[in-house]
Amino acid sequence: MDNFFKKYFILVLVITIFGCNKSNDPNKLIEDKDLKSNIILEHIKSARNTDLTLEERKESINKAYSICSTFKDDIHKRDQIHQISIEYYSLMDYLSYKKMNRKALKLSTSINDSLGIAISYGNLGIYYNRILKIDSAYYNFDQADQIYSRIQRYDYNHGKILTDLALILRKTKDYSQSESMTIKAIEKFELAGNEKFLPMCYTNLGTLAKFFEQYDEAIDYYEKAIEYAKGTNKEIVQTLISLNNIGTVYKSQKKYDKAKESYYKALSYNEYLKKHPKRHSLYLDNLAYVNFLSNDTSQIPDLFYKALKIRDSINDQYGITVNTQHLAEYYKSKGKDSIAKLFALRCRDVSLELQNNEELLKAYQILSEVSDSKEGLQYANTYIKLNDSLIKQERLFRDKFARIRFETDEIVEANQQISKENEILIIAILGLTALFLLGYIIFRQQQSNKELLFAQTQQESNEEIYRLFINQQIKLEEGRQLEQQRMSEELHDGVLGRLFGVRLSLDGINQRANDEFTDSRNKYIEELKAIEKEIRLISHDLGAETLPSDVAYIDAVENLIKDLCEVHKLQYEFNNDEDIDWEEIDDQKKVNFFRILQESMQNIFKHAHADSIKINFDYVEDKINLTILDDGIGFKENKVKKGIGLKNITSRVSQMSGVVKFLSEVNSGTTVSVSVPI
Amino acid sequence: MKKKLKVLMIDDHPMIIEGYKNTLLGENQKEYQIKIDIASNCDDAYANIVKSSETVPYDMLFIDIKLPPSSDGTITSGEDLAKHAKELLPKSKVIILTMHREDHRIHNILKNINPAGFLIKSDLTSSELLLAFNNIVKGKAYYSATVNDHFRKMMTNKFSLDEKNLKILYHLSRGVKTKNLPNYVSLSLSAIEKRKNQIKEMFSIAKADDQKLLEEARKRGFI
Repeated sequence: MDNFFKKYFILVLVITIFGCNKSNDPNKLIEDKDLKSNIILEHIKSARNTDLTLEERKESINKAYSICSTFKDDIHKRDQIHQISIEYYSLMDYLSYKKMNRKALKLSTSINDSLGIAISYGNLGIYYNRILKIDSAYYNFDQADQIYSRIQRYDYNHGKILTDLALILRKTKDYSQSESMTIKAIEKFELAGNEKFLPMCYTNLGTLAKFFEQYDEAIDYYEKAIEYAKGTNKEIVQTLISLNNIGTVYKSQKKYDKAKESYYKALSYNEYLKKHPKRHSLYLDNLAYVNFLSNDTSQIPDLFYKALKIRDSINDQYGITVNTQHLAEYYKSKGKDSIAKLFALRCRDVSLELQNNEELLKAYQILSEVSDSKEGLQYANTYIKLNDSLIKQERLFRDKFARIRFETDEIVEANQQISKENEILIIAILGLTALFLLGYIIFRQQQSNKELLFAQTQQESNEEIYRLFINQQIKLEEGRQLEQQRMSEELHDGVLGRLFGVRLSLDGINQRANDEFTDSRNKYIEELKAIEKEIRLISHDLGAETLPSDVAYIDAVENLIKDLCEVHKLQYEFNNDEDIDWEEIDDQKKVNFFRILQESMQNIFKHAHADSIKINFDYVEDKINLTILDDGIGFKENKVKKGIGLKNITSRVSQMSGVVKFLSEVNSGTTVSVSVPI
Repeated sequence: MKKKLKVLMIDDHPMIIEGYKNTLLGENQKEYQIKIDIASNCDDAYANIVKSSETVPYDMLFIDIKLPPSSDGTITSGEDLAKHAKELLPKSKVIILTMHREDHRIHNILKNINPAGFLIKSDLTSSELLLAFNNIVKGKAYYSATVNDHFRKMMTNKFSLDEKNLKILYHLSRGVKTKNLPNYVSLSLSAIEKRKNQIKEMFSIAKADDQKLLEEARKRGFI
């Protein structure tokens, strides 16, 4: 207890330190988990303490479990439960052992822990084997086997399960299956590099070989078992087991001397046998029986009685059944039927109690022979019945096992089928998805191609419209210019000439007429001269070259502004920087500027409630800046969702790799400023 | 005895001829007995000139610059007529009367024809015409104030611009773009550019823009 407290104290200290450093929850949980695990470990230790009473030890393990049950479901918890279940097993509380493993199985299943599931099945198999429910045992072991086969690791665990299966199969006399299981188990143990269970496996193989009457091989196997046990703590016991088994083989071969030799060899392990009376009595009994069979009566029936005495003293019931059966046989051969019957009856009773059918059968056989005819017939009938039922039961077990195997096979097959179907389904889905994606991509491609084509044709038609528009404008301008030219010439050459003629004539006449009006007439003549001058200037202006194409664009722009403003009753101011050589600017840009202007003005008319607008084209550092300013209500920049108009403007500007800014404040108008490099 | 003078007046406006007549035949003119022939187009004028060269040559020819061209198209203006007249009637005095007062035109006419009289119609009054007439009859040349101005400008400049350069400046001043100048001046665009640069260098304003060039040309009286 001192030790426990010390550890606990340190633990608490560590937790406190950790707790000071990190007080967030996950760490606390971990510390909590560690703490609990340590407490569980302490409880398990005290459960193993043989100084305590069984009750105290069980109490400890119960406590361990109650702590363990507070863990959250994970592998750690499952591991702890398995640990605890083993403790229950060693305390011979098999029911709790089963309960624990059932819990572990459920938990493992819920967290998808294959290893946990396999271990649980294995442990449950051990439990059912223990209570002689071999069909359930077989089922559980088989489940474990399936899982281990699937997860392909844990060869040692798998080997143990296979060994258990082999033993059960041997019990039901399915020797060939048992043999193949054992061989599989050996393979697994070799893979795992753990030879602990190899002597057991070879012993089993030997026993199976004996049943197949392959005696030499059986002896080989038993000797191999000794080989594998050499150097381990099981060396002596395995040697004893093998010697006994070898003796039995020789007995079956009727090589009684060799059999005796083996038994004597076994019996020579005095030191060990003193501590293990059960084995001692077994070897004595077997030696006695071989003596009896070889008609060497020197030591019998004393040896039988010696063995029986030991067995009685330790209440080795199984031993007693064999021993009494041997004695009954012995006395029957001596013709002492009444004594034989006495032993046979005891054999029968104990066998019944033990459910040792093998010996029971033998007992009935002897009873049928040693009893009088009527009673003998009864015993014979019972013998036949029991024999039949035993054979039936064995067949039943074999069938059942076969069914279990088959069902699992079927499930596996079904799983394979399902996985195959799933595979097909997945492939189909993937294929369809790929197809769909492909289709979608093609569709998108076509769509974008269409869009591109559309944009292209739109652009082309825009340019076409613009060209037509400009041509129209140019023609108009040309017509106008021609007309102006004509007027200019008409004024200059016609009107001016005639006026000059008239003035000159008047002047000439005035020179001749010498009256008081000469001066005033001169004044009018001067006036005429002034008129001439004016007309000449007008004519000059009219005849001056205006620049058809670029004036045409700006005229078109101004016309647009003028027309729209007139319709919407707005004041406007338009300025075009003379430095902009519109003729040099490509048509696309001109169209874009035109459309931007249209778009912006539409916005102003629709939303701004403006009284006047101001539009400027400025030329700054190789850039054309278009500014459209209104005195309308404006808008909060971030509050207005971009409508199609603004989007159009933005896209047109970016098409020209320019920059556009929309500046506005509530009640202080809006400025759209576009800057486009030439 | 009044001196007899034979005069051919060429103008397509009868009103103007009327004006000339009224002036020359008026009260103030008593020295000469003037016989006036009239032509209103190039064909008639040329016919008259040719006829007089064979008989009695005209003492004086009043020639307007802008005239309906001859039917064969060889004579298109008063300038052409004046040239023919100088050949056919070397002793006749040519008086150019025109509405045009642009420097390059004046320059051109002076250079090609060197008329005895050069009168700009818009400047002209009856008394001036009479004055010019009297001067020219006596063998003195007479030029309108505008023409004299032009002379003065030409003289004060250290250099003179030829007709083509003047034309370039003139059309530029009217707002014609450089690249459209070939339509007005019979020169290639590169030749025009070259000339413009020469003019700028003469004005010692090399590398200046057209605006500056025109300002300078105005200041120097080339426009």
